[in-house]
Amino acid sequence: MTTITISKENKVTKMISSEVFESNTWLQALPNNIRHLMEHNLKFYLQNIEEIRMRIQRPLLIRMGLKEVTVDPDRKLTNDYGRGYLVRREDIEQGMEILSQSSLYAWEDELKNGYLTIPGGHRVGIVGKGVLDKGRIKTLKEISGLNYRIGREVPGCADKLLPSLINEGHIYNTLIISPPQCGKTTLLRDVVRQLSDGIPRLHFSGVNVGLVDERSEIAGMYQGQPQFFIGLRTDVLDACPKAQGMMMLIRSMSPRVVATDEIGREEDIEALYQALQAGVNVITTVHGHSLKELQERPVLKELLRWGYFERLVFLSRRRGVGTIEAVWDGKTLERMSS
Amino acid sequence: MVKFIGALCIISGCGYLGLNIAQMYKKRVELLRMLQSGLNLLETEINYTSTPLPLALKRVADKLHSESRILFEHAGRLLSNKKGVTAGEAWREGVKVLVKEIPLTNEEINILTLFGYGLGISAKEDQLKNLALVKEQLHMAEMRAVQRMEKHQRMWQYLGFCLGAVVVLILI
Repeated sequence: MTTITISKENKVTKMISSEVFESNTWLQALPNNIRHLMEHNLKFYLQNIEEIRMRIQRPLLIRMGLKEVTVDPDRKLTNDYGRGYLVRREDIEQGMEILSQSSLYAWEDELKNGYLTIPGGHRVGIVGKGVLDKGRIKTLKEISGLNYRIGREVPGCADKLLPSLINEGHIYNTLIISPPQCGKTTLLRDVVRQLSDGIPRLHFSGVNVGLVDERSEIAGMYQGQPQFFIGLRTDVLDACPKAQGMMMLIRSMSPRVVATDEIGREEDIEALYQALQAGVNVITTVHGHSLKELQERPVLKELLRWGYFERLVFLSRRRGVGTIEAVWDGKTLERMSS
Repeated sequence: MVKFIGALCIISGCGYLGLNIAQMYKKRVELLRMLQSGLNLLETEINYTSTPLPLALKRVADKLHSESRILFEHAGRLLSNKKGVTAGEAWREGVKVLVKEIPLTNEEINILTLFGYGLGISAKEDQLKNLALVKEQLHMAEMRAVQRMEKHQRMWQYLGFCLGAVVVLILI
């Protein structure tokens, strides 16, 4: 057995307990037993937790950065998963009760998609048995696993990138590219916030931004209120399909920039061209490891060949989440900076 | 003179008691009607706007008056406080508080309590079926309560005063 030691020396973890709990509203959405563990035994690690996974009769798994740990009977973090806290059916049921505010009927669309958004803008992935209606998933029952994904807001994480995305008031069509969990959404959120609020140091006054948040991850909308700072000139179309949402926003809210997450479907391309015709700039993200990989994808290769995106931003976790590896000029396909 | 005042007190006291009992029959019928209205509102909240229960119950309570709001208000408040209370538990607590205000029959309490067991734990379709069932049961209970009211209300209106008079006669 190895007991994991994670540095407690950073500034954030020295916050006094009440502040820690106040800034971690997601704790309220956990099943009682697990919340108790977090509040009493893991309170120094709360700021580092990125994911909490619960699967019935399997150990509770907590991911912090690249480490995945569990909690042993002595309530210490360990990577000896055999000794980990076994998640009970009651934990999952209670979790669902809390997440749905005892109102499963109110979240049928969300269950159909497999996730719920909770106060604070965090997302909880849900798996169980599908209930089908004419061959399509109608809802989920017999819930067997929950995945709490803690969204982090890093104001200023786009500071270094923004000079490459703006030129004398012109905003470049930008594609942010990275493997999963490298901070694409966090970076996009900060780009949106700064474009919306304005960036005095770049002499850029704020512009209207339309945000199509199909998976409720960027703004983290909860009952009509964004849970993250997304800027004072940002209009959000929450839980709307990207292509449809982009066209709606262009017609209805006349944004200067439209931002959305994870493009890649056929219909997205049509929406991107419509944006171009309307003179609206687009900032979006895509899963991917390299330009070569993207150039092989049927939907994206056309866009890249045509030079739709003027800036390509590559992210990694090399020096922590959100490391900007490089910015490329999308027209010449040349690296601009490192 | 003292005897006269005493007799008046006894008769008016008993009469008041009788009137109260008679009034209770009427109140119970009104309550059952208002509960059905409340459940209709809840159905709208569930069916058309998919409002989660804590807010839906509060909205229903805001639109109701008289004692029927107690049930929705109390259940909604318990759920909003987020102390690990399920919708069923909150509803049953609400029923308990309501019964303290207006004594319902065991049958009526059972109808309301059983409805709580299915509350919030299933898909919209099931919730609507459950609501239709409880409304039907409450409607039947209301019919019976009307019959009882017609049978007993007038009797109690007079019986109180009569009983008072009998007591006075015995004491004199």
